[in-house]
Amino acid sequence: MKPTAQIISWILQLTIITLLAPAAYAKLTAHPDAVALFTTLEMEPAGRYIIGFLEAATCALLLNPNSAVHGAILSLGIMIGALIAHLSKIGFDNMFYFSLILIITSSAIIYLRRKQIKSIARMLN
Amino acid sequence: MAGSIDLHKISRFANLAIPSTAALAFLGGHFVSFYFHFLTVTFLLLTIINIFYLFIQKKHTILRNFGILGQARYIIESIGPEMRQYLFANDTEERPFNRIERSEIYRKSKGIDSASSFGSQLNFDNAEIKIRHSMYPIDRENIKQYALTFGEERGVKEPYTIHKPYIISAMSYGALGENAIRALSRGARLAGIAMNTGEGGIPKYHMAEGGELIFQMGTAKFGVRNDDSSLNTEKLKKLCAEPTIKMVEIKLSQGAKPGKGGLLPKEKITPEISTLRGVPMGQDVVSPAHHIECTCKKTTVAFIKNVQDACTIPVGIKLCLGKISDFHEIVLEMKAQDTFPDFIAIDGAEGGTGAAPKAFMDGYGMPLMPSLYAVNDILVREGVRNKLKIIAAGKLINSSKQFIALALGADAIYSARGFMLSIGCIQAMLCGNNTCPVGITTHDPSLQKGLIVQEKAKRVANYVHGLEHDFYEMLAAAGIKDTKNININQLYIPKDTALAGQINELQQKAPTPSA
Repeated sequence: MKPTAQIISWILQLTIITLLAPAAYAKLTAHPDAVALFTTLEMEPAGRYIIGFLEAATCALLLNPNSAVHGAILSLGIMIGALIAHLSKIGFDNMFYFSLILIITSSAIIYLRRKQIKSIARMLN
Repeated sequence: MAGSIDLHKISRFANLAIPSTAALAFLGGHFVSFYFHFLTVTFLLLTIINIFYLFIQKKHTILRNFGILGQARYIIESIGPEMRQYLFANDTEERPFNRIERSEIYRKSKGIDSASSFGSQLNFDNAEIKIRHSMYPIDRENIKQYALTFGEERGVKEPYTIHKPYIISAMSYGALGENAIRALSRGARLAGIAMNTGEGGIPKYHMAEGGELIFQMGTAKFGVRNDDSSLNTEKLKKLCAEPTIKMVEIKLSQGAKPGKGGLLPKEKITPEISTLRGVPMGQDVVSPAHHIECTCKKTTVAFIKNVQDACTIPVGIKLCLGKISDFHEIVLEMKAQDTFPDFIAIDGAEGGTGAAPKAFMDGYGMPLMPSLYAVNDILVREGVRNKLKIIAAGKLINSSKQFIALALGADAIYSARGFMLSIGCIQAMLCGNNTCPVGITTHDPSLQKGLIVQEKAKRVANYVHGLEHDFYEMLAAAGIKDTKNININQLYIPKDTALAGQINELQQKAPTPSA
């Protein structure tokens, strides 16, 4: 991985962590907004904890260069889910753009670190 | 083929089923429970990957034809080596060392009796060299203790005597990690044998354990070089003054890659190695193919003389045989200049601790047994066999192979991989990747932490003890009282072996005086 790619990837990783860590915290500590959101989705409380836990795990994975690409895949998955929620149940609001930004950043990290996905890396070598 | 599984059909079904499942899960998520969207997301991602495989990437035929199921082939292929080694390969088919050979070393290293039952698993009808025993075996007590003095022929100031025929062959710090080097070096000291430092510059970790060392000078002369990779005599003199350095070995070529210089992959170059060797980081270190001083037989022999003049300890050479005529010519040149190395280490092409290009590893150089015979034969013919000692190297990891090498003219035995196995090598064959799972050929601290120097040093000593025990038992069975009397008549050599071919070829030219 070239140094520039490495720097860009780290900036993107830190961006995701900055956005996702508070969201995970809100879900795991039952912030009224989060509870309201998951009540709309009829996933309260189990769904809220599952997603909160997955978001926290994403942040942890993104902090380590060896696992960052897997963190980005996880974050992409969660945000696609969020996008579906907005499109089908909640409607457009700021959070819709929030998930859109995260989808783009996660995809960029996956692209930059594509050689670190083991099974694919083996084929690309 | 009728009745077989049609993978193409299955993959077409899967390629259709994945997006369909995503769509169904979406409907489930929308109308039944939002939890279905976990499946929606998963299958959506799989669909995206599949579209990439089927329509976008162009490099891999299997993925373009079969999509994501084709990936299974690559995943299964990637775990193939482990599956074969652990589950499917039988006890005698692995290379370079099969399971029987490896487990014998493991048992010796752990001090477990290596007797086995119900017969040998080797093929006796085929081309296998065997050792002839005597009708009248003798008692072990009557056998003279092995001793070999290097440098006695030339009368060097500090000759070096070994009391066991084994020497740990060249492995540098760089090729091996710190812990492995220390374990081997400490083990060598415990066992009372010498260790070759490999061409890794100043052998800091080898020397740290206080064992007896043979300093190897590779073609790049790490540790004793000028910037143009010529010899810096002052540095060599200083190094040879170290009490642990007992001999110097000039490496002319090596079995794993004869005709090519040493190679240290960039993955394994740490800041410390870069300092010890005086080379930059971030790129493979490739040593020149030959010593800058050695361009023909004349200059090569003159270079040996130069090094001998600079040191007060024995100086030998190491080479892998290519053309026998080349070797003959250099022996004639040695006679002409009256300069002989104190020892010649013959490395068979099967040698292989070094990282080497596949073509060289597999295709270049003469195997040990025929080249050992040829070297000994030429030296005897020229009447100079008594001027030097021969050390044999190349897969000599067990007692019988070592005995055969001694019978073919070797005076002592080099082994590198035997000792690597003794400190826990599992033949994962990742030596060049810095990912050795048992912490031997890696500098990764998290992989080296499992290699406990103190424990593994004992294993080295046990292994040597086991080999020595076998050696004297074999001498007793062959009725040989003095190890100097081991000779080719001790061997049964089937006519289909490479060795038999070599013997015929040389004998047809002219019979050996001693034969």
